[in-house]
Amino acid sequence: MNLAKEARDAYLGHVTRRHFLKSAGAGLGALAFASLGAGSAGLPDAHSPRGPHFAPRARRVIFLHMAGGPSPLELFDYKPELARLHGQDCPESLLEGKRFAFIRGIPKMLGPQAAFQQHGESGAWISNHMPHLGQVADKIAFLKAMHTDEFNHAPAQLLVHSGSPRLGRPSMGSWVTYGLGTENENLPAFVVLLSGGAAPDAGASVYGSGFLPTVYQGVQCRTKGDPVLFLGDPDGVPRSLRRRSIDAINAINRQQHEEVGDPEILTRIAQYEMAFRMQTSVPDAMEIRREPAYIHEMYGTEPGETAFSNNCLLARRLVERGVRFVQLFHWGWDSHGAGESEALNGGFLERCQETDRPVAALLNDLEQRGLLEETLVIWGGEFGRTPMLENRSGSDNPFVGRDHHSDVYTMWMAGGGIKGGITHGETDEIGYSAVSGRVHVHDLQATILHVLGFDHERLTYPFQGRDFRLTDVHGQVVREVLA
Amino acid sequence: MKNLWITGAVSLTALFLSGGCQRIPPVSFNQQVRPILNERCVNCHGGIRRQGDLSLLFRQEALAAAESGERAIVPFEPALSELIRRVAHTDPARRMPKEDAPLTPEEIQTLQTWIEQGAPWEDHWAYVAPARPSLPDVSDPEWVRDPIDHFVLAQLDQMGLTPQSEAACPVLVRRVALDLTGLPPAPEDVQQVCKDTDRSYEDYVDSLLSSPAYGERWAAMWLDLARYADSKGYEKDIGRTIWLYRDWVIQAFNGDMPFDRFTIEQLAGDLLPDATESQLIATAFHRNTMTNTEGGTDDEEFRTAAVIDRVNTTWEVWQGTSFACVQCHGHPYDPFVHEEYYEFFAFFNSTADRDLDSEYPTLPLFEEEVDTEGRELTREIARLEEAIIARVRSDELAAERRVWETTLDAPEVIGQVRLMLQNEVKRVVATLESERGDAQRWTLDYVYAGLSDDPVIVRLREEKAEKERALRALNPIQTPIMRELPFQRRTHVLERGSFLLKGEVVVPDTPDALPAMPEDAPRNRLGMAEWLVSGRNPLTARVMVNRFWEQLFGTGLVESLEDFGTQGLERSHPELLDYLAVRFVEDHDWRMKSLLRAMVLSATYRQSSQVTGELLQKDPRNRYLARGPRFRLSAEQIRDQALQVSGLLSSRMYGPSVMPPQPDGLWKNPYDSRRWQTSEGEDRYRRAIYTYWRRTVPYPSMATFDSPSREFCVSRRIRTNTPLQALVSLNDPVFMEAAQGLARRMQKHAAPIPAGYTYALGTPPNGETLDVLTGLYTDALAHYTEGAGDAARLTGDSGSAELAALTMVANAILNLDQFLMKE
Repeated sequence: MNLAKEARDAYLGHVTRRHFLKSAGAGLGALAFASLGAGSAGLPDAHSPRGPHFAPRARRVIFLHMAGGPSPLELFDYKPELARLHGQDCPESLLEGKRFAFIRGIPKMLGPQAAFQQHGESGAWISNHMPHLGQVADKIAFLKAMHTDEFNHAPAQLLVHSGSPRLGRPSMGSWVTYGLGTENENLPAFVVLLSGGAAPDAGASVYGSGFLPTVYQGVQCRTKGDPVLFLGDPDGVPRSLRRRSIDAINAINRQQHEEVGDPEILTRIAQYEMAFRMQTSVPDAMEIRREPAYIHEMYGTEPGETAFSNNCLLARRLVERGVRFVQLFHWGWDSHGAGESEALNGGFLERCQETDRPVAALLNDLEQRGLLEETLVIWGGEFGRTPMLENRSGSDNPFVGRDHHSDVYTMWMAGGGIKGGITHGETDEIGYSAVSGRVHVHDLQATILHVLGFDHERLTYPFQGRDFRLTDVHGQVVREVLA
Repeated sequence: MKNLWITGAVSLTALFLSGGCQRIPPVSFNQQVRPILNERCVNCHGGIRRQGDLSLLFRQEALAAAESGERAIVPFEPALSELIRRVAHTDPARRMPKEDAPLTPEEIQTLQTWIEQGAPWEDHWAYVAPARPSLPDVSDPEWVRDPIDHFVLAQLDQMGLTPQSEAACPVLVRRVALDLTGLPPAPEDVQQVCKDTDRSYEDYVDSLLSSPAYGERWAAMWLDLARYADSKGYEKDIGRTIWLYRDWVIQAFNGDMPFDRFTIEQLAGDLLPDATESQLIATAFHRNTMTNTEGGTDDEEFRTAAVIDRVNTTWEVWQGTSFACVQCHGHPYDPFVHEEYYEFFAFFNSTADRDLDSEYPTLPLFEEEVDTEGRELTREIARLEEAIIARVRSDELAAERRVWETTLDAPEVIGQVRLMLQNEVKRVVATLESERGDAQRWTLDYVYAGLSDDPVIVRLREEKAEKERALRALNPIQTPIMRELPFQRRTHVLERGSFLLKGEVVVPDTPDALPAMPEDAPRNRLGMAEWLVSGRNPLTARVMVNRFWEQLFGTGLVESLEDFGTQGLERSHPELLDYLAVRFVEDHDWRMKSLLRAMVLSATYRQSSQVTGELLQKDPRNRYLARGPRFRLSAEQIRDQALQVSGLLSSRMYGPSVMPPQPDGLWKNPYDSRRWQTSEGEDRYRRAIYTYWRRTVPYPSMATFDSPSREFCVSRRIRTNTPLQALVSLNDPVFMEAAQGLARRMQKHAAPIPAGYTYALGTPPNGETLDVLTGLYTDALAHYTEGAGDAARLTGDSGSAELAALTMVANAILNLDQFLMKE
């Protein structure tokens, strides 16, 4: 153990009182950890930003998770051959050794339920369900041969966000804030925004902190009710009186500190002050009504509602204020075709309408503010969908849909550190398997961390006697998409 | 290969000791050598990677020739040892550790001396049974109240530290009340113990230990380990009725069930002769695993996940060992090999549960008036099940059955099988008949029983369905329990824990690093549970006393409660740990109350938590206990305490979980329409342990105070101090209601502010504090007198400005650092 490490460990041990820092590798942590507040009084401030391993290309992340598994075959992966095969029995050779969630027996092939056009200088194929996105195609790097290990929602979402299909690991946003801290101490560093009428399938764990301290967990901000739980003063308590009462609490706590000497008390005093400031800064960040009309027009917002468009605008407002990681979940992409709401000719079209414009607006808005070059935007779901028709309900079902498919699907990245206007990875003629450029979920994670200035193998946290990381023991940076 | 590490270490050590010609003091393998190997070598030359075919985990492997033909370690011959040559190599390209900083000259010297002395290996302390240490001498025998204090003071003497004086009586009374019951003391108790001479601290401790609140407080600790929750987890995260288990834990603690029995009943209560209903409920411990009810999941996949969770949880809870590592590969640095994981897995692999939505098997319990009827129906159903299976297996149906099996791949036939079972059935059909295990045959029996149109089966099935309907009509409480199948599932080593990648077949066994199970012990869960608490197991008692210590003192004697392995943290008081472990088993007969009693009566525990700058410098984290504990209360304690001091807390025990107020709109799970139904009346104010615990959407105020989701076993809650916590205790309507309650109590007193403070902290405020609170009251009163509307909004009634102002004072008291902390 060298002296620097020893000194740091001693310091960290002092700050945190906890085991997990025993050998907190990676040379970061110190400042970010102070946000635990445990006994950090008098030491560098809790939420100050941290230095990464090397120069980051992006400083903030907006992750647009399309929960349920959007079908690439109706969005980005143009497969004319599949149209030709529409209605034919799926060859058995494609089914051998495969596991499906719902398909049993021999399914029929299902042609693309969309028309496609090429867009931009890059000539990216994008379906007519996403006209606005077509206009920003040149900002985007498509990953068309993503693959995952899981074909059920909850485990697949956990894999995307925590690197493991089972519970207990910290989420990506937690890792990033653990590494980088926040740039605005009056706002949570890791904010979660939900829309689409349901929470993520794996619940709060997809933005949980796992074995990292809970200070790193995502804070859900809401557009209805308190934007952060319990943020509003109780009825009948005006701001002035809340200020007065926090002054009283802190005055007594200071006396207590003089008496017993525990530095934790000073931290608590600081946290009450921060809570008071958050009561103003969070609603301010979350109030979209004051945005000019053209911005509302651009995003297609619905002020006062819980809407994906509002969340996109909020994401921009939050990163603008220095929030490190904004995680959106928009539920409803689980297009099995078992009913209208989950059909490619039903709910899927609504999801496209709800998201097409705001996502394009987000990229444009970030760009016009000079934020895009330092903000990494990621779009995608937890898995893809089969080129076969899933038909649980029988032949007279007017709705069409596809089953979960883990072998190949599309995600895209844009913004800081990413080369726009490219496509990496290619699928076969029917979009069933990858032909080249396969990218596993762990590779995506390694790439995200890389763009943020981290070697994914060195952003680790000791727990239960070993160093854990987001990418488990896997992950290769996808250099092809880096700017 | 798995026995390699059992070496002749002892005899070699003896050989070297008898040499008699050593002048250099012997190098300690555990203290000096292993840390170097673990820190610098085993990453590449250990249980996972064996670069150059060298592992330094077990002696025999380390002494063997590596891929290069060289031997890393040649005992007594450092010059011939490749290890020394490579770590001391001057050419960085050949030096080890590869591409890393070289070892220090001291480290190299240590390794060299150690090899000169014969390279003796030692077992890690945690794998050697503790012996009762003698009590060390101390500077101040007067200070000692319990043998515990000997060990603590001896350590302080060595470090040149002196213990703090005893905490002020009201502080100590509050501390011990919160520790033993999770609730603050009543002001009268503080009065009696601190003023009255006839009620001693000791008597008070005894009264706390016999209070029903004791069980509720300690069950909270255990339920984190048991990953107890009221929902099944994953996507829909639908409800699970398993609160009888929670009640069982409370009762076990209150009845002071010895820890060995506590262990056996939870792990294997169903295998005890004439198992009682209570013993069956206890086995719900391992039915707290998650069930994935998401559409299109493979039941076998998630059954396997549950078994893996049972193995990992058992090892974390009883052995403080990160066994999960061994799921995929040999342990990176502890002496466990891959196969041993699955040998232990085999103990749990033959239970009847299988990730079914029904949670089968369950124990139905009935309301008293229908109890007889219910039990009769239960017996009838069991009898019918047996009859059906007997018929399925009868010779009469054998031929028909064979034909049926061949049709199972056909889509129209498989389509009849329950969706969740289809994958399993396909796997069975794909397996050669002669290769099929009992479990696979059983699956087919089960499916056949459900589909066959044999008239006898049809009749029995109908009869059974009818009885089941009648049973459901009685509305029994169905608690998931453990039940052994009538046969053993075949257990394979699973590659990377995947249920699809099956390796060699293994049989139930415990790892070789620990004392073996007795020859005649049954190789099942019962034998395994008895092995854990046999008294010969070196870990169980240590791990458990350490948990209690951590609960009281804030940090364990081994800080890493969950990891006693070689990478766990150093013990702060090695002898004290062993002493407590031996005493727990031999003197206290595994009784947890006696153990806790000894701890809270010790002088160590009774110290004031005041700390000077100098002491803070020397021992910032209070590992050496020259002062009393001071740390934030748990999520449960924070809620319970607020309700208690405001006079709102309900003392009702047990029963289905309740739903105290939480913000609207939090429950939005996909494919699930259930909503939080806020409880009425007394149930709004129950202790936190009765709060409905939904894994994917934990109760927000408790989650903010670091309570886990209970999706998996958690040994240690990491305490944080955040602004979000301040928002909860300042603004959460539950805490505001508590402030109102306390204000109403205060109103009844002539000096309301000192009274309110006393309710909260057991003692009146000092002058300065009183001044600050009075100042707040005056300003608040001025506001509420002017703005009567605000007063009404705050107090929700008459709009009394006094009550509103007192509510603000109460809200401040409930947010004081002292109130949120145990001092």
